[in-house]
Amino acid sequence: MKFRTFAAFVGPSVFMMIVFIALPLIFVFLQSFQVTQPIREMVEVETCTPGFLTQTCTVEVKSQPVLDENGNVQTETRWVGFESYANVLQMGRVWDAISSGAIAQIGNIDFWKALRFTLTFTLLTLPLVIGLGLAIALAVNNAARSIRGQVIFISLLPFIITPVIGALSIRWLFYGDGIVTAWLEMLFNTDISVAANGWAVEFLMMFYRVWHVAPFAFVIFYAGLQTVNQDTLESAIIDGASRWERLRYVIIPHLMPLIVFIALIHLMDAYRAFEEVVGFSSQAQRITLQWLTYDFLQPDDAGNRSISRASASAMLTMIGIVVILMPLLRKTWRDHRGGH
Amino acid sequence: MTMRTLALAGTMALMGSASYAACAFENETEVKMLSAGFEAWKSVADAMSECGNVQAELDQEFRTKQPSAFAANPSLYHVGGVSNGTITPLLNDGTIRPLDDLVEKYGQNLAPNQLIRMNGQVMAIAMMVNTQHLMYRSDIFEELGLEVPTSYDEMLETAAKIREAGAVDYPIGATMMSGWNVAQEFVNMFQGHGGQFLGDDGMPTINTDAGVQALETMQALTEYMDPEFTISDSTYVQQQFQQGKIAMANLWASRGGAMDNEEESQVVGLVDAAAAPRAMEGGSPATTLWWDGIVIAQNITDEEADAAFRVVMEGMDTEMVQANNDDAIWLIAGYEPNRLAMGAIATATASPPPPSYPSTSEMGLLHTAFGNEIPAFLTGDRGAEETLTAIEEAYVTSAKEAGILD
Amino acid sequence: MATPKALRQSVALRAGSAAFLTFWCLLAAFPLFWVLVMSFKSPVDAFDANPLAVIFGPRTLSDGNGLSIVDIVVGLAVLIYAVRFAFTGLPRMVRAFTSPGYIVAGWAIGAVGFAVVFVLLFFGLLPILLNVLNALVGPLGEPVLGLTTEHYKAVWVENEFYRNFLNSMLVTGGVVTVSLTVGTLAGYGLARSGSNLAFWILIAALVFRALPHSVLVAGYLPVFINSAEILSPILGENAPTLYGQPLAVIAVLVAINQPFTIWMLRSFFQSIPVELDEAARVDGCTHLQAFRLVIMPVMWPGVITTGLFSFLLGYNDFLVTSLLLDAQNQTMVPAIAGYFNRETTTTDQVEAIAAAVSITAPLFLLVMVFQRQIVSGLTAGAVKG
Repeated sequence: MKFRTFAAFVGPSVFMMIVFIALPLIFVFLQSFQVTQPIREMVEVETCTPGFLTQTCTVEVKSQPVLDENGNVQTETRWVGFESYANVLQMGRVWDAISSGAIAQIGNIDFWKALRFTLTFTLLTLPLVIGLGLAIALAVNNAARSIRGQVIFISLLPFIITPVIGALSIRWLFYGDGIVTAWLEMLFNTDISVAANGWAVEFLMMFYRVWHVAPFAFVIFYAGLQTVNQDTLESAIIDGASRWERLRYVIIPHLMPLIVFIALIHLMDAYRAFEEVVGFSSQAQRITLQWLTYDFLQPDDAGNRSISRASASAMLTMIGIVVILMPLLRKTWRDHRGGH
Repeated sequence: MTMRTLALAGTMALMGSASYAACAFENETEVKMLSAGFEAWKSVADAMSECGNVQAELDQEFRTKQPSAFAANPSLYHVGGVSNGTITPLLNDGTIRPLDDLVEKYGQNLAPNQLIRMNGQVMAIAMMVNTQHLMYRSDIFEELGLEVPTSYDEMLETAAKIREAGAVDYPIGATMMSGWNVAQEFVNMFQGHGGQFLGDDGMPTINTDAGVQALETMQALTEYMDPEFTISDSTYVQQQFQQGKIAMANLWASRGGAMDNEEESQVVGLVDAAAAPRAMEGGSPATTLWWDGIVIAQNITDEEADAAFRVVMEGMDTEMVQANNDDAIWLIAGYEPNRLAMGAIATATASPPPPSYPSTSEMGLLHTAFGNEIPAFLTGDRGAEETLTAIEEAYVTSAKEAGILD
Repeated sequence: MATPKALRQSVALRAGSAAFLTFWCLLAAFPLFWVLVMSFKSPVDAFDANPLAVIFGPRTLSDGNGLSIVDIVVGLAVLIYAVRFAFTGLPRMVRAFTSPGYIVAGWAIGAVGFAVVFVLLFFGLLPILLNVLNALVGPLGEPVLGLTTEHYKAVWVENEFYRNFLNSMLVTGGVVTVSLTVGTLAGYGLARSGSNLAFWILIAALVFRALPHSVLVAGYLPVFINSAEILSPILGENAPTLYGQPLAVIAVLVAINQPFTIWMLRSFFQSIPVELDEAARVDGCTHLQAFRLVIMPVMWPGVITTGLFSFLLGYNDFLVTSLLLDAQNQTMVPAIAGYFNRETTTTDQVEAIAAAVSITAPLFLLVMVFQRQIVSGLTAGAVKG
């Protein structure tokens, strides 16, 4: 294919990705080494606010941005090197914790707390999603044809449902006096407070993620099962392979590319988990890396966004995802080289 | 149609209805408003909408959207709903206009108390005050012969008695959801213990006796609370009250009306309100005073500002208050304080009175630092002193990034 | 198909497999079923700790909203028939009435028609009919199950949720159409080019796929809000404010969706033998003609499957739409989140649940209709890469 033809085909797509993904990304990268702040001055302000019947007026000295003649805030931008990264990583506190032997204290530093949870979350749910997806696919493939349609339909529900709503639907079952909690309380005759327990919340978040993604794995595997070579299967039977051996040596190798595909998608999605934190209100106990970035970006009551730290945390997240994808990228590169 | 569904109905659109007298003039200019979404705002937005051409966006994420939306030229909204916490960025960026001339033209019905002045200029019009104060189950208190507590020590004693009697699941409720809510509780408690947030050099002075005492009081309260307090925001506490699960809470006055809502509440008429408890002898009630009100954008034409202000005056008139008397502690003429408003009024008029929540950039940063660091203390992951040190470090980091500290 | 003896399964295995499947289906459907139940109850019942109270809704019932046994039996019968029809009768009718080239349009019309008829019958005709029946049968006609549709009324009529619905449809429709048009071309180009550039584009897309969206979205916000000022040197007076424009959101979502789309479609096109278009090229076609005449007719299974994923992305998106659209153009998901985020009352929350169920309904319909296409599209090769 000539370059011009290729460019004509790929152009629109590449253009959109450059404008809406690559450029913002470069911008974020640069920002992580900069700090932009308004030029401030201290001013004395008399503020009168209402009590119920009368006003109270107070005079206080507060810092305010300086406005230019057009009424815009004057800002200055400085290059600060790795300062924002240092502020996110807080290595000082990490070393303190290590040297004083209180390793657990590292878990109270936002970035490390988020990293710990995100990695656990991603790596623990991965085998569960693949295993459950495969199990459902095999079971459906094994079911009578007449009910397959309905079963596939029900199985797909957790996947298609809007993530925030899916998370809430699970949350309502467990939080407070949710019915599952009420049922467990009756069964064990104790008082259970799911949301008060960090590990219970962590478990619920993982449960939700597996519930939500396993159907996707299932439908892909199920599609893959339809193309298993029947001749190979039959010759395996003739060779006396047991059911388990057929699964192990014929079906799984056939599905291997799909397993890699699912693993890849899942690694990417779970690593940037976000909806779980919102849906389960788990900020006090468990946060994820994307949530941390989002939180830095949320303006506080005074309207400040920590853009620099958000950019730094985003870049650190990026590095993480590239590391996770590295084995796969290398394999793709080898295939590419080998193929041509 | 009940009053409540009526109030809900107006969240998006104009609606004509017989329950309010229609607007006094026909508005021809498009007016857009962005504000918070609690009941009082719904009522005001409904009343404004009757003038026509009004679009109200009631969104709890307003504090995220407002600063940048008002900074655009032309501004994306004409009217903003703010409180003393959320007006700060708009003031700092100079994106709202002084209202003195408009008040003179159209503000005959405003009480002087409603005019929020900064260095003498009217920058906002307040419509209501809000504060956190003590709400309690009068029936339980009566049955057990308990006095209404006036300090946190008494509150803890009372809680112990209620627990002993087994009257409710959890004696105390509190808005301790991580983030903004728990930070607000700490602000209340810290000031109640006589703490000063910042020293003269601008460095935080949180790691003090007042800080430790504030944290310890909060921890003592959690002993009597639903262990799921890290997800307990005002709606959660309100529901706990409505379902009869708690006996007392230091809760927002704007939540009072919900206690007597027959569709939701199982404790109609059983919840009373009193002044917020004090944290230490002779101190002010451990709470802060808030106001909610409107501002008008700078980056719009004078005609638009004119129309917007007139519409606002229609939305904040006596008729609206009379139709929605129980939604808030209104500052508007015609308001009749009900049973539940007494607590807020007692709080606001206490001596010494609680301070207003300060509208400063420093406070915004501190509040965020509180909200991020305190949950680790309450869940038992970290001691009080370490938590307070972490708060100070977090504040210094973000204040440097924002250019407040050098 | 006769099963060979060796493939026949032991009873234990079949029972185990069936039990597992039943358990999974319960697990998959129960949270959603529960949400559905909650949406029909008064606020007090909906959040009751006792599951029976949630199901039977005693307080909803005492408010005078309830169903009798007759209602339940007849209603269930109609529901079951409707579902069965959606699985069997509807596909047959669609196939009978549409010519093969317009199968997608046929399905769309069929689905919408089915939805309209169902709503009319179930919520319009049935209640009237049942009222008469209830009066006739005496004790069986007494209400026993508390159930109210007032939250749906509040959501759709009073809060005008249909506006959000239309906005959602606009955004989703735009995302699917643009995404597929741009993505199909790119996917084909990438599948047929072995150049290093193609490889690096794919790798870049892979990394872009992994990006946390909050990073990107926060970068758009200031630019979109001030776009009138930024673009005015280029476009003059007509420079638009992009904030709040559905078109701008569509562009952003399409871009975010591109990496997945082009990977998916590239694998699909790779499974179409390259000899096909080479033959066309020998006959003198250009690449574009070859694409149009030879590839387009056979690409639909893969495109439909990919389109479905685009649909889910556009329809379910929360971060982008909530940050970049204002109230007038808000889509459904951020509108619902608004119910929860604002300082709410319990009634607001149940209304939010009703809204949540409402937005799930179109997804239901979509999967019902396209279920076969998903599996066949995936089987046809979209996942072979």
